[in-house]
Amino acid sequence: MRSAFRNAYVSLSRSLNPIPKSSSNSRSLRSITASVSLSFLLSCPQHQSFRSFCSSSSMTGAGDSPAPNSSPSLEKQFKEFRVQLEESGTLREKIRAVVVDIESATRLMHVSLLLVHQSRPIPEVLEEAKAQIGVLKGLYSQLAEIIRDCPGQYYRYHGDWRSETQTVVSLIAFMHWLETGNLLAHSEAEEKLGLNSSEFGLDIEDYLIGVCFMSNEMPRYVVNRVTAGDYDCPRNVLKFLTDLHAAFRMLNLRNDFLRKKFDGMKYDLRRVEEVYYDVKIRGLAANGGTADQGLEGQS
Amino acid sequence: MLYSARSLHRLFLMAPKPKPHRLHQVAGTSLQSPVKRVRTMTTESSFKDAFAKYAEYLNDLNDKRERVVKASRDVTMNSKKVIFQVHRMSKYNKEEILEKAEKDLAAVADQYMSRLVKELQGTDFWKLRRAYSPGVQEYVEAATFCKFCRTGTLLHLDEINASLLPLSDPTLEPLQLNILDYLLGLADLTGELMRLAIGRISDGEPEFAKRICEFVREIYRELSLIVPHMDDSSDMKTKMDTMLQSVLKIENACFSVHVRGSEYMPLLGSSEPSSFLLGVSDIEL
Repeated sequence: MRSAFRNAYVSLSRSLNPIPKSSSNSRSLRSITASVSLSFLLSCPQHQSFRSFCSSSSMTGAGDSPAPNSSPSLEKQFKEFRVQLEESGTLREKIRAVVVDIESATRLMHVSLLLVHQSRPIPEVLEEAKAQIGVLKGLYSQLAEIIRDCPGQYYRYHGDWRSETQTVVSLIAFMHWLETGNLLAHSEAEEKLGLNSSEFGLDIEDYLIGVCFMSNEMPRYVVNRVTAGDYDCPRNVLKFLTDLHAAFRMLNLRNDFLRKKFDGMKYDLRRVEEVYYDVKIRGLAANGGTADQGLEGQS
Repeated sequence: MLYSARSLHRLFLMAPKPKPHRLHQVAGTSLQSPVKRVRTMTTESSFKDAFAKYAEYLNDLNDKRERVVKASRDVTMNSKKVIFQVHRMSKYNKEEILEKAEKDLAAVADQYMSRLVKELQGTDFWKLRRAYSPGVQEYVEAATFCKFCRTGTLLHLDEINASLLPLSDPTLEPLQLNILDYLLGLADLTGELMRLAIGRISDGEPEFAKRICEFVREIYRELSLIVPHMDDSSDMKTKMDTMLQSVLKIENACFSVHVRGSEYMPLLGSSEPSSFLLGVSDIEL
């Protein structure tokens, strides 16, 4: 409030008195203000002409009446904005509805994949999980359909399906790895989900983040495989993760989420190394036949 | 694959027992033992090719983003200069000050906004929005500010976009600002208008301040209706709060002029201006 007061004082003293000189003598102050008022009156013609300039350029001269000339077009513009924003809002709702379905399909897939940790035979587990890929494919084509109406705006709504898609990628990449022992490439992922980059593609950063999520799943898998007696698994996983980590190091990352996930990958790697070490040092993995057995178990 | 795995294993056994730590140290480098290479020839090369592609994509994207951020920063800086130029306006030099400001604004569009055009083709327009949005908002602020001081009206988004059309050559799709950035820029405009209103009052143009007051109120009203429909409204909500503060400041300033206005002439004769000032502050409290 003090500053408001000061402002008021300054503005007042300025408008009253262009030479703000504090004087204890009220007489001299009066003479100054009188001269100011005189000069103000003298400058009036100029002031009038300025004011007329203002009003000629639609600045309301009287000031009291509401400005009628700008309002209608201004209101019209904002009305149009509202219509457009509402349209984009309904679009977003449609997208979110599909994304909710994607999420639940993904959850089903995840749940069936979790059986892998309970040493269920891999083909059986995969078959169940794969059923959801078809569902996901349909959902993504719905998304593509929605986005088709607003070309070039993929990234406007990207945030709405972003994290869900990353999870999807992590799961299908994990499945692909269980099946083939290889990394699911970006183009393969797009193919599996029925996406294509000309229309509704898979963002490469989302793909890479998904791959990082997949690597988070590895240590647990290794631990459980070893517990189930598959002593060769750690070596294969370690090899795969080492390659993956090396490949990720080729990327120049910014300080963003992907970077953070990549930094986390080394902990997965270390955990798998530890398991491998534990198995190795006890000579569990050292006998001949198990290497092939492990590979066969995966293919 | 099976065969190579088997041969690998044989070789593996023949090799001196690898220590796990050494194994992983070596793995990342090219110093891999021939043993490993046999086994992973297929996976590793496809890894490398694929990741080379991703690396290229990320590099290009980051470079582009960097260029957009730089252009945006230049737009911001120079738009700010335009705004300061407008603030130098007084009763007497209005015409020339605004002329210079408008010229500078055109130069900002010409030199800096034009750099955005070719970077924001296709999907990049929305992808890199966070990179260019601050600059565009500032530009909107400067453009609408100039226009208001010139005519007392709001510069519409269509008009801004029309003025940006000549920037790009016909082969490119032109840069057309989106509603969100326009609205965010508009929200910032009120802060500048508040400063202008206070300046105009101390400069003896209370009518101008009143006009600003009405204008800002109108914008605030319209924006209040729109905010809930905006994509990321958290940013906008804080701006709305600041905006309300600006509106209040202008209203209070107009109020004190109004109250004081009627006593303006009699006051000149008074020998105690300070007592009058205290009266104002009482009312404000």
